[in-house]
Order: sequence, then structure tokens, then C-alpha cells
Amino acid sequence: MKNLNFITKILHTKFLKEDPHGSLHMPVYDNVTFEFKTAEDLELAFAGKKPAHMYSRISNPTVEHFEQRIRAVTDARGVIALSSGMAAISNTILTIAKTGDNIITSKHLFGNTYSLFEQTLKDWGLEARYADLTNAKETLKLIDERTRAIFLETITNPQLEVVDIQALSEAAKSKGVLVIADTTMTPPYVFSAKEFGVDIEVISSTKWISGGATSIGGVIIDHGLYDWNRNPKLKRDVVKYGPFAFINRLRREVYRNIGACMSPHNAYLQSLGLETLPLRVEASCANTFKIAEFLNKPGQVKSVNHPGLKDSPYYETARRQFADKPGAVLTFDLGSKEQCFKFMNGLKLIRKATNLHDNRTLILHPASTIFCEYDDETKLQMGIKDTMIRLSVGIEDSGDLIADIEQSLGRVR
Amino acid sequence: MKIKINGREQEVSVTDLSIAGLLKIAKVESAEMVSVQLNGCFVDKADTDKTFVKDSDEVDFLYFMGGGV
Repeated sequence: MKNLNFITKILHTKFLKEDPHGSLHMPVYDNVTFEFKTAEDLELAFAGKKPAHMYSRISNPTVEHFEQRIRAVTDARGVIALSSGMAAISNTILTIAKTGDNIITSKHLFGNTYSLFEQTLKDWGLEARYADLTNAKETLKLIDERTRAIFLETITNPQLEVVDIQALSEAAKSKGVLVIADTTMTPPYVFSAKEFGVDIEVISSTKWISGGATSIGGVIIDHGLYDWNRNPKLKRDVVKYGPFAFINRLRREVYRNIGACMSPHNAYLQSLGLETLPLRVEASCANTFKIAEFLNKPGQVKSVNHPGLKDSPYYETARRQFADKPGAVLTFDLGSKEQCFKFMNGLKLIRKATNLHDNRTLILHPASTIFCEYDDETKLQMGIKDTMIRLSVGIEDSGDLIADIEQSLGRVR
Repeated sequence: MKIKINGREQEVSVTDLSIAGLLKIAKVESAEMVSVQLNGCFVDKADTDKTFVKDSDEVDFLYFMGGGV
């Protein structure tokens, strides 16, 4: 059968090797090393000429099956699973760039990603150049001969800004620059990154993919669109590995040496999570629309931000890219930080916790938590206001969620 | 004809041998996962049945374990 749909492909991805016991789920291979019959076989495996796992920091059957499932639904050239979403970003950047290079991104980023660029990698000589990525023309002006990538979030967290990815990737391609997209808020099933010209997709699979915050994980997807000859660091890999230059350098050097591999147990949980991803995405997105519409009624809150609302400046772009699933995160503003805290403390059902796409609805005050390390001016540049509340909407009954929000808003007003 | 497979010279008696055919007669493991290099150039998966090996060719079967083929 051909052209199976997402959930069918996930559920019926074949094992690369038949399980001796006929297990329907890929078992957890919670071992470190793998034995070979001969020294010659071991040599071939190390040369990449025999399909075999050698050491679980580099590859492992359970982790590989999770990777294969993602590859099956993305038609990717290669997929690598890592210990976290931040590991996915850092491993990608370390594979494509070196001291003196630069990447172009936005200040509207997840706080830890901004910190990675502005602190951790800056100390190693990588420059992050900040642009308004919604303006492709302006973004292009920052490109020079040391630009190695444009890095974007498909829906920024928590500003909920949506870039026209096709326009940006076409502009990047005109200059031969790689496009890396963090699709955590719009994972495969919601967004077909390859169709919009994204070269490398990075995901915090901790969020939606894991099955409701079961485990920490990250994914790197090479969509096979980029000509790696354009990247000076990968030139020698292109000679030997052609189109697999990036994925091979990653697997056999950066990923191997950094050691941020996904654990087999996490891969098992995340693989189970993939099986229900479409069901949970549909439920969370539907709930988000209902809550956004409720909050958008006159007099409820100062303002509501969700790219699925028709008054959002990103409505058309979000519709084109994510159809009827523009994420399950919304933000809204109250009158002050004190009002935000009072509202949060008055909730009886919604949980105060820092994560996205748990099965439960989670609430957070971004300015005092995930952006607490930044001064007021930086927060302003990053679009973080003291009056903003972020809601990651889960799969509970929407009526119960709205009732909880309504009763707590009543205490604030 | 003599061809080098993964660095080892081997005698092959079949004529008009395609890469797809070689994958079968060489009993290549996990053939659906393998990437093939013919004289240092990757052969596209879609072209394995119309790409033929000749005497003195060097063929390498490579695996990018873990989601890469």
C-alpha cells in the first residue's frame, strides 16, 4: 500500500530487524554495547559498511526505531534523536559552524535558545545576528560570507509570532544559506517543513511528541534539500559522503563526541507518544480555539494573542502553514504582574508549571520565570511583558477549563 | 569480471549486473537501509536498477545507522 496517512505510517513502521519474540512494540534495548561474531565484522561496522549497532551513545535499536518512525512520516534523508530539544539545537549548530561564523535569527526566541546563542556559543566565537524574520528582505541584508544559517521558530515562544517560512527559505536559498526551523510548536503532522523549504528541522520532542511530557528528548531532521558543498566546514564530508555529509558528520563526530544521546527508555516513551500525536494535537488545538474565543470576548482580559484568531497579524500566514492547527499555546494580558499572579493563584484546575504540550493545561508568567535572567530592556526587545500570561492548552474538557479561567478572572476583576 | 566490494576484490560471473542485482547476489544486509557508492559517487535509490557495474569498479555499501539511509 502507498500513500498511507501519518498515524497509519507511525503505527506500522516496520522494525529494521525482525524481533525474535514477535513483539509488536520495539523493546527497550537498555544495554550499552553489542557483540560481533568476528573481528572483521567489527571492523566493517566501525567503517559504516555493516548495518549494526556498536555502542548505545552512538546508536541503539530502540532509539533507531523512534528515528525511523519520524523518518517515515517526514520523508527525511536522516533523523537523529537526542537527549533534549536544546541538544538538538546545539548539536546542529556545532556541526555546521565554527569560530568566526554567524547565524541569523530573531530576538523573539525561546529564552534558553537565546541564551545558547548569546552566551554559550558566543564565548566560542559564534555570532548571532538578530533580525525581524517576518521581513525576508531585511533579513537578507545581514547575510555575509560567514553566515551559516538562518534559525527560526515556526511559532515563537511565547511571542507567538509566525514567519512566512516559504518566503524566508526562498530568500535564504537565493544566497545559498541553510534554513533551520525549530518546529516544537508545530511538529510533523501539523507542519510539513520540507514542503516549505526548511533544510533542517529541530524539535523538542519533550513537548508534543513525548505523549504529554513523559520524558525529555530532541530530534534533528535533515530534509535532504541543502547542498552541503555550500558549507565550508562540511566540504571534506561531502567528498566522502555526498548528500549524507551533515547526518554523517553529526552521527560520527559531533553527536558521538558531545554525548547528548537519547536514552533507550526515553525513546520507547517517545515512540509511544508518536502513536497518539495526531489525536492529542487535534484535541489541544480545538480546546485552544475555544479558550481564545472566550478570552477574546469584550471585557475578559486586556488582549489575547493566538495565531489562529482572525485579528492576529499572523492569521493568514499561520493558516497557510499550519491549516487549522496553529498551535495550542496562547498568551493574554492582564493589567499588571500582580493581577497575573492573583489570576494564576486563583486557578483550581490549570497547573502552574513550565512546559508546553503536556496533556494537562499549564500556565506560566514568562517574564518572572523562563525569561528571569534578562533585564527589562532585553525583555522588551524579546517581546516579553510583565502583564503577559502563557497558557499551554491540554486535552481536558474545554468546558471545565473555561469554567476554571472564568472563576479566577472573576476574582481579579 | 572483478569488482571491489567494500574494499575487497571479488569475482562476479553475472554479466549486465545492476546495482539492484548486486545487492541481491552479494546478500547485502538490510538492503533497504543501505546507501551505495559506485566509484566514489552515491547512486540514487531510484537508479539502482538502471546503474550497471563493470570490470574494475569499486562499490561500497554504507550504512548511516539510526534513521539515515
